[in-house]
Amino acid sequence: MSDWIRRFGGLIGMLAVIGFFAISLPDTFLTARNWLNISQQISMLTVVAATMTVVMVMGDFDLSVGSMASLSGVIAATLFVQDWSIPAALAAALAVGLVGGLFNGLVVSVIGILPFVATLATLTVFSGLAFVVSDGRTIFGRDIPAAFGDFARGGPEIARLGERALVLPNLTLVAVGVVLAVWVVLEQTSYGRRLYAIGGNREAARLAGVPVMTLRLSAFAFTGVGAAIAGLMYASRVASANPTQGDGLMLAAIAAVFLGMTLTRDGQPRVLATLAGVVVLGVLDNGLTQMRVDSYVREVLVGAIILVAVGVSALGRRGVFRRSPSR
Amino acid sequence: MTFRTALIGVAAAIGLAAPVSAAAQEVAVITPYLAQPGTQFYVDGFEARAEELGWTVNVIDTAGDVAAVISRMEDVATQGVDAIVINVDPAQIGAGLQTAADAGIPVVGMDAGSDPLVAANVTSNGYAMAAETAVYVANRIGGEGKVVMFTFDPFPPVQVRGVIADAVFGNFPDIEVIDRITPDVSDGGIADSRAQMEALLAANPEPGAVSAVWAAWDQPALGALQAIEAAGRADEGIVITGIDANPQAREAIAAGGNFEASVAQDFDGIGRTAADTVARLIKGETLVQRVIYVPTTLVTDASVNAP
Repeated sequence: MSDWIRRFGGLIGMLAVIGFFAISLPDTFLTARNWLNISQQISMLTVVAATMTVVMVMGDFDLSVGSMASLSGVIAATLFVQDWSIPAALAAALAVGLVGGLFNGLVVSVIGILPFVATLATLTVFSGLAFVVSDGRTIFGRDIPAAFGDFARGGPEIARLGERALVLPNLTLVAVGVVLAVWVVLEQTSYGRRLYAIGGNREAARLAGVPVMTLRLSAFAFTGVGAAIAGLMYASRVASANPTQGDGLMLAAIAAVFLGMTLTRDGQPRVLATLAGVVVLGVLDNGLTQMRVDSYVREVLVGAIILVAVGVSALGRRGVFRRSPSR
Repeated sequence: MTFRTALIGVAAAIGLAAPVSAAAQEVAVITPYLAQPGTQFYVDGFEARAEELGWTVNVIDTAGDVAAVISRMEDVATQGVDAIVINVDPAQIGAGLQTAADAGIPVVGMDAGSDPLVAANVTSNGYAMAAETAVYVANRIGGEGKVVMFTFDPFPPVQVRGVIADAVFGNFPDIEVIDRITPDVSDGGIADSRAQMEALLAANPEPGAVSAVWAAWDQPALGALQAIEAAGRADEGIVITGIDANPQAREAIAAGGNFEASVAQDFDGIGRTAADTVARLIKGETLVQRVIYVPTTLVTDASVNAP
């Protein structure tokens, strides 16, 4: 019984959430337009959470992603002000993400500082840099090229419902692209399998000849670049940038990975499970808003649901250990 | 069906969901800034008026997250609310405004800024507020004397105040504006204003060399007041005015010193007028005037100390 709960409890919970909203909001929730909206709303979190999965596979995590997202948006916007072209400004922001990620990797794997401490420190550094670059201001209006803001508002049209076009949002397409890339890296390459080996038992992996230090260092590049991409998506969506706007992404991304871990057979982070976790968080925001649930109560509920999901999964695992004959 | 009833029952029992009524108007108020005092007053005023009108109001605070404002606008547009009220710069939520426009849902701003997709913005008249205090200064010094102005042209809502004060003082041939100072506002504006005013007082040492200080908002007025008091020149009769009537300014005005007047915005009135504006839009009225001003009040020693 406990095995069964552990295996399918998370999935049933997620389906129950979706079923609840489908029944409570019969006219609006299960419509294509609403789900396209949700896909766009969660796109930034999806990118951060998918890349966060890469380091969590090794048992590490990265607290600096939120402030890196803010920093990348502010850098792109500041370069726009200085008349850089859109591709050049975006490339510079992504490069900062890559460098920041590799720096995290360096202090975690080469110097050997615990990820919690190391990335908490770089969180503060990146956040401070975002304030330095932007001078604490919100950059918006004519300073942001129209084409950059229009990107997040557009997308290929997939159908027409009466007067209104049904558009597959560009931001959704970006998120799908990132999830696919991470899926290929983690599930289809020896690089990915080695990361899982490090997560299973770092010492055994090292003895088996896995270059643990290099792999951990390189894996943090994913979270850095992912955060930078998400920061640019955010800046495009609000056609502006300020030095704190991405900060909320970090906790939600870690929560999404943990939610996803309740779905996998061995409790390991898997990118598609992470995606399911992100969808649950997005659906809760979308559905509870439509049901007029108070925004503060909504936050309490989301936190409680994460606790219940991870708690049930943990209880299930303990039950399995008790029945195991070797213990 | 029983599953649904049970869940809704549970939700209602612990007070999560507002009662669902089909007939009443439903309005969503979405802001990232509910924690700020001014916003709180707008929203309270709006809710009070909405209750009188029998509406259901859903106040959504995204706690500083502007992208979430867009997401919640999409959600309530899907839900099919009758109107959306925002308190955020429209330039940052273009995608949400477009979604609302596509769904035919009117959007009203509370001190939000103008945008083609915002049916109306309800706010205070910056031109009128500046005229109130500039004229107060001119009359108070009998139409002649030397005036120091504190302005901040990089910020459009404050820039318009300076323009009006320029015009008022320019219309009095015997008033001379001896300096037009733009203080550094990175620390709030009081400290640098005080430093600049101290320098100006040192350069004009003889009594009567400065008749008045007109400030485009309260912080420079407070800084100037500190400088004048510290220089021991509080008894020269220098008149100081500010704008916004923040608590610190009200205290200074009530104390009866050089800081004599400021202008208070009617935040509650902005909220109530926003509700009335929504009502007009829901009735199908087309608004010709897309910026709606709510009257402000001159705050002086007499009004602050009134029983």
